Amino acid sequence: MGIISVENADRLYWLGRYSERVYTTIRLFAKSFDDMIDSYLDSYAEFCKNLDIPNIYTSRDNFIERYCFDETDPNSIYSNLKRAYDNGVVLREEIGSETVSYIQLAVYELQRARESQAPLVELQRVIDNILAFWGIVDDSIDSENVRNIIKVGKRVERLDLYGRLHMSREEMQREVNRLAGRIPRTCLRYREDNLKVLSQIVSDPVIDYCSIVQKVDDLLEE
Amino acid sequence: MREVDLYRHTDTVNELLARYGVKFGIYKNNEFKEQLFPFDAIPRVIGQEEFSYLEKGLKQRVLALNQFICDIYGAKQIIRDKVVPEEFVYLSSGYLAQCEGVMPSKGVYTHIAGIDLVQGKNREWYILEDNLRVPSGASYPMIARELCRRSSPRTFQDNHVEDNRNYAQLLRAAMDHVNTGGHTVILTPGRYNAAYFEHSYLAEQTGAHLVTGSELTVENDHLYFMDYSGRKEPVGAVYRRISDEYLDPMNFNRESVIGIPHIYDIYRKGNVALLNAPGNGVADDKGIYYFVPKMIRYYLGEEPILQNAPTYLPFYEEDMAYVLEHFDRLVLKDVAEAGGYGVVFGSGMTAQRKAEFLALLKKEPRRFIAQEVIDFLDIDIMEGQDRVPRKADLRAFVLLGEEPMVWKSGLTRFSRDPDSFIVNSSQGGGFKDTWVLSQ
Repeated sequence: MGIISVENADRLYWLGRYSERVYTTIRLFAKSFDDMIDSYLDSYAEFCKNLDIPNIYTSRDNFIERYCFDETDPNSIYSNLKRAYDNGVVLREEIGSETVSYIQLAVYELQRARESQAPLVELQRVIDNILAFWGIVDDSIDSENVRNIIKVGKRVERLDLYGRLHMSREEMQREVNRLAGRIPRTCLRYREDNLKVLSQIVSDPVIDYCSIVQKVDDLLEE
Repeated sequence: MREVDLYRHTDTVNELLARYGVKFGIYKNNEFKEQLFPFDAIPRVIGQEEFSYLEKGLKQRVLALNQFICDIYGAKQIIRDKVVPEEFVYLSSGYLAQCEGVMPSKGVYTHIAGIDLVQGKNREWYILEDNLRVPSGASYPMIARELCRRSSPRTFQDNHVEDNRNYAQLLRAAMDHVNTGGHTVILTPGRYNAAYFEHSYLAEQTGAHLVTGSELTVENDHLYFMDYSGRKEPVGAVYRRISDEYLDPMNFNRESVIGIPHIYDIYRKGNVALLNAPGNGVADDKGIYYFVPKMIRYYLGEEPILQNAPTYLPFYEEDMAYVLEHFDRLVLKDVAEAGGYGVVFGSGMTAQRKAEFLALLKKEPRRFIAQEVIDFLDIDIMEGQDRVPRKADLRAFVLLGEEPMVWKSGLTRFSRDPDSFIVNSSQGGGFKDTWVLSQ
């Protein structure tokens, strides 16, 4: 009916954020996993440091099991995907059964990965389903407002993660521009000053990554 | 009927049902779990002529039940005329004194009725229960049909089956008929309700907005939906999937945190429609069930087309004597229970349990009904590669708009346990599509 409740606006935003978090962290994990096969067995410590998550893991194998699949670890891929699912499943009438199904399929693939000797194969399918989810968001959600709120969540999360990972200037600038182009197209209340500061920071001679993370996390008004 | 290719695709359909999150919630050891609802691809098939007979009987029954509720909260003529004893009305847990004198929009109380039937081995249909509060289950065969057609198009080329995917249109018509002006919403208790999938799927399919109580507010004697920019949109119809007692803490259970304060006050003034109407529980009480054939004769002046299962009320001395004499062959139901709970078979009791139960029955005769155990017609299900017979019931859906509309399908639930008559999903049952043949 063209109107969105406060609760659903919040869920759409966090659906965007958690789906992006799952996507980007799986890609990072895949890179670290490859290193850990035979060359750099302890690279998970650096992985945790880069993402600013506590290194609670006791070994490479413990990291692989817990970071991917442990539902009691709030930073695990499973926990983040579960949060995406929890937000998505209550948005069926807003985004459609077909759209929700790709998040559901991603959950099933992650459950399969847990039983696998080669989890990257199933994790790739999780990524495939997240990509399909974003595709169908664009293709079949009629409401521009609904689409834009999901995408703002996605852009905010990506900027947050890229800031933590100290990504290149080009990538940071691209993400700030994408966010700046998207957020005014929603009715979300945000701090315009923060957006201007973000644009400035990514043009400065030395990028202050800590400030990027702070400003992006503080972008939306309560 | 031609050979049905669909049987070979049970696993495919179940995989697709999982994909679309077709689940129900259940609490086990105080923990919420979502479970898939097992689907069996062998449909229940009802011929055109047979369904036409059921359709007439179901319309007749629901019209009489609607008149009964109107009468109970109004003139009470059926009590004055001693057709229904007042004890059965006023002691019913579904009777709400707050509904006295309240007339809902267009006089419709039973917008969505779920009538449970079984077919005996003699091919006769029997009504088992009338569900007039928040009957659930239509969404499952609706989405299953969509996925069956996708999995086995040949089956639907070869067989002429009424399309059941129009349930959302029927529901929408019933909602629009009583809408007092404004948006239509489906009110859910939330994600952790057993039927949440259904709430969200029906919202999607009808184009209604799915809301929780916190998203609605009563102001100036009208109901509003608040959007995230602070705008208030009027609401004219609420298909509520929460029970009467939790609907409005100012009028019913004061501890409800999922209802909308004062919604019942504006409903009373005719400023919003509630589907189904509060207070309907008085008519789907298991004790009142006994009187439905009498209601049909009383209000409509017609003979009932569909029959009840043979039922006895221990409240009546004569019936109590019959129940005591034939206890071992009867099924006894606690009128306050639902969902397959509170159902005991006389034949299944130990001597001690029987003695305890009989003492309770004599102490609280109004609390129980007794029924002859109907020898259900078994329906086959696939178990691995084998077809095996199982007990099954049928929930038919009747929607009351301008006219009563009977959905040309229904929810067929079956027991997966060969020794059980209990078909409820919460107790491990599965479901089937219900085909009504179009020629």
